[in-house]
Amino acid sequence: MPADGKYRLPPQPGEAIDRASPVEFEFDGRQVKGFRGDTIASALYAEGTRVFSRSFKYHRPRGLLCCSGNCPNCLVTVGEEPNVRACTRPIEPGLQAQSQNAWPSLGFDVLSLLDRLHWLMPVGFYYKTLHRPKALWLLGRQLIRRVGGLGSIDINAGHEPEFSTRNLHADVAVVGGGPAGMAAALAVAEAGASVTLVDEQPALGGHLRYARRDGGVGDGENRQGNGPATGLADEVGRSADIRTLLGATVFGLYQDNLLAVLTGDGVVRLRAKHVVLATGTQESPLLFENNDLPGIMLSTAALRLASLYGVLPGRRAVVATETAEGYRTALQLLDAGIEIAAVVDCSESAGTGAAEELRDRGVAILTQHRVVKASGRGRVKGAVVAPVEGASATGTRKFRCDLLLMSGYHQPVDGLLHQMGATQPGVTLAGGVCGAEGMEEVTRQGREAGLKAAEAASTGGSSAEAAREDPAFSPDLPAGKNERTYVCFCEDVSLHDIEQAIDEGFADIQTLKRYTTVTMGPCQGKMCGRALAGICSAHSGADGVGTMGDAYTTSRPPYQPVPLAALAGRERMPMKRSPLDQVHRRLGATMVESGPWLRPHNYGSPADECAAVRERVGIIDVSTLGKMEVLGSDGPQLLDRLYTYRFSDLAVGRIRYGLMTSDNGVILDDGTVARLAEDRYFVTTTSGNADVIEEWFNWWNAGAANNAHVVNVTAAYGAVNVAGPRARETLAKLTGIDLSRRGFRYMRSVEGEVAGVPCLLLRIGFVGETGWEVHFPAEYAEYMWDAIMDAGSEFGISPFGLEAQRILRLEKGHVIVGQDTDAVSTPYDVGSDWAVRLDKDDFIGRGGLVVASDRGLWQRLVGFITQDASYPEDGTPVMSGSRPIGRVTSARLSPTMKQGFGLAWVPPEFAREGEAIEVLIGDRPVTARVTLHPVYDPEGHRLRS
Amino acid sequence: MSFLLNCPNCGERSVNEFRFGGEVLSRPAQGSPEAAWSQYFYFRPNVAGVQQEWWNHRYGCRRWFFALRDTTSNAVRGTFWPGAQPQEETA
Repeated sequence: MPADGKYRLPPQPGEAIDRASPVEFEFDGRQVKGFRGDTIASALYAEGTRVFSRSFKYHRPRGLLCCSGNCPNCLVTVGEEPNVRACTRPIEPGLQAQSQNAWPSLGFDVLSLLDRLHWLMPVGFYYKTLHRPKALWLLGRQLIRRVGGLGSIDINAGHEPEFSTRNLHADVAVVGGGPAGMAAALAVAEAGASVTLVDEQPALGGHLRYARRDGGVGDGENRQGNGPATGLADEVGRSADIRTLLGATVFGLYQDNLLAVLTGDGVVRLRAKHVVLATGTQESPLLFENNDLPGIMLSTAALRLASLYGVLPGRRAVVATETAEGYRTALQLLDAGIEIAAVVDCSESAGTGAAEELRDRGVAILTQHRVVKASGRGRVKGAVVAPVEGASATGTRKFRCDLLLMSGYHQPVDGLLHQMGATQPGVTLAGGVCGAEGMEEVTRQGREAGLKAAEAASTGGSSAEAAREDPAFSPDLPAGKNERTYVCFCEDVSLHDIEQAIDEGFADIQTLKRYTTVTMGPCQGKMCGRALAGICSAHSGADGVGTMGDAYTTSRPPYQPVPLAALAGRERMPMKRSPLDQVHRRLGATMVESGPWLRPHNYGSPADECAAVRERVGIIDVSTLGKMEVLGSDGPQLLDRLYTYRFSDLAVGRIRYGLMTSDNGVILDDGTVARLAEDRYFVTTTSGNADVIEEWFNWWNAGAANNAHVVNVTAAYGAVNVAGPRARETLAKLTGIDLSRRGFRYMRSVEGEVAGVPCLLLRIGFVGETGWEVHFPAEYAEYMWDAIMDAGSEFGISPFGLEAQRILRLEKGHVIVGQDTDAVSTPYDVGSDWAVRLDKDDFIGRGGLVVASDRGLWQRLVGFITQDASYPEDGTPVMSGSRPIGRVTSARLSPTMKQGFGLAWVPPEFAREGEAIEVLIGDRPVTARVTLHPVYDPEGHRLRS
Repeated sequence: MSFLLNCPNCGERSVNEFRFGGEVLSRPAQGSPEAAWSQYFYFRPNVAGVQQEWWNHRYGCRRWFFALRDTTSNAVRGTFWPGAQPQEETA
């Protein structure tokens, strides 16, 4: 009967694999063959693999349990990525997977010895033992840390895959692509609202993709794999109004309906006005001795293997069930040719049609019975079955089997709802999650939920809705020691462990959880949450334990494990590029990130670039400067309020340096302010600060009933600074504006044409040479650059980058805000007392500056010069003897002096010309002397010439 | 934080689009004693409950406005322009 692979069934209706496309991959060093559409787990299972991992604590062999990406049993490492669920990761050619938590192999794991020593490590043993002698804990801790944990992180791993973050919006988000979700999405689209449907599986259909005997159809249509689910999926696929995200897991539901969705290439932040949760149900495992043996799985896992991947889950199965689902599973497996040894039902009546059919087909059905133990070593060989308490029958029976299916109560998948404390307005539930059964009821509910959601999304109305009330659940706990009756498969917590912890006084489900670590593993309670609640409920009131009731542990995001790389994915914030970016690339500039900008660091040699500016003429792209126009009759008052200096008395055509502080007197930004007309100022800010300063201007102007307008023109203008002894000659070739020493003085502005383009020229000198900042419409940027380069070629013009600019301005002692200043620097500290006018009326910073000026200085920014060409790194300490007294903010080699120099913070008593301080070059303290004057052109003759 | 904020100009948007400007404070008059300034610079009521705050729609209209926000639940009770009267929306 098995075809192809050893355990491959003949082609199944509606299967997800393509048998015409074989795919080979590697698992633990051996080649494995599968088909396109297979997962790592299904391909391995088809070849006969039954042990997929070793358990967390005792290294017990574990096989497939849920086959749906919810349990911890099939975690493998794929390439460099640890803890990948083999049952959901599709295979691809060349994929390399490795087992985890087993050495030397899955089949023989040395640490499985721990399973024999389990009595040495009772629950919470690390709290109780290893106390004396003290050194024992240090040893124990090392050992536990080495042995503990799942998978290992390759710290040399690359950055693949690269994740990014996306934002999506929809009127309605539907979570779950089963019949309820599909019906809901179709109804929303019909109502004319936008809808996004999200499902973690690679295809729509929900449980109907594999459960052929479900759906209330009974006519066999669904058995052929083309039932009503396929019909709905086709309809969804045809609808242009439904956006579908498949293979996408919603792991968080946050305030105001923000859904966090993990997709293959990153996190999607999906904001919806209304959310429909159609997340269905999740089968729970059952409690009995050895319930973790490979070959014991959820009944839905066996159905998935058989229906989706055409894999034979076993040859002879026992189905243990708490509900009617188990019967349907048994029938479907029987249809697929699997022998059913028995259906074991713990309830009294199994009065469903499926039971009748099974009986007719000769399957033994035991009601009021339960599996009490699985036999076998490393693999299930049989099931021991006993009557439940109070049953009429007596005596245990044993069934031989190689597959033991658990069909526990189907619990609602409502983790997302509970993340918001189940009080989220704007969430509607539909389908199995709120108790609907059968295709007709489920799709009707889905449709109603969809219509309601579309209506709510359009009117803004919303209401909270509670999930279905779980039926009171107080299971008969199996008798016996239950040391190997696992409640928690992730952390190897047995029923015995939990009962012992309750005996020790952990009487609340929350403390019980933290003490035993049950529900705290990779499945986060999906497999064990219900069992834990049941155990608590069963113990409630007994032994003076108090009422533990039906409480569940708290549900928090993420609902499924999320790689940190996905959470750290790039935000799509584009790098800003100047309008001269193409020019810099053409010139082969080395680019550097500077705030939000990408700017040229140098064009080959910063030293040569400095020399060009000092000796001939240089040109630098300063398009990145923040540029604002302040307009209106109240503009002067606004500037007086925001800057520490006065600007209302600035004459038209003049420029003044402006310093801005926060209200407590700390330097925020600096720049130049040019008055172009009575009611029009042109303001520049530090590169990268444009947006913040614009916000700052508007903040203080917010709500003021005045005539002052702030317009950010940063992107509208390109700008270059042309500086050097031959800058005048260069620009003179391009303009009729009088650039002479008397005609265009230092700190003056003129609007006029340069190279035929309307420009604003500001005569300022950040680098300390005769120079002009030329601002022009950004569209002309490349043309302007080329025109100036052409004009300057006979004078030896050279472009210069940020590094050269930093050296040149440092020689002038010009401060860069943020580089040389910090969160406590006032204008007094940097020696800019002259820029503060306490004699004018209230301005932003006045209060703080009055306090600062009364208090006196406690630090001062000074220049320093080393004795040779060496210089300290930016940020290194300034020493006096062995005591750190300050820090270096900027230091370079001065091309003018051929000596190391820079700026540093020192206590005021060191702020004297020629004072000796020590700076650290490497680890070596070197004496430097303080200077309070620029090292280059201290009188500013060159600047003004 | 994932709540929505109703920009008086652009409408309801995710809080990620906004810059928080802190509690609305009253600024001491010129010439106030150092203690008043120091209180204004460094101390905040930091209420557990509804407070009036500055917000800027940084990735939208870039305008500043006031919001009444419950700091315990992030529920926004209303937004309005500076100079306008606060209007509590009934939740």
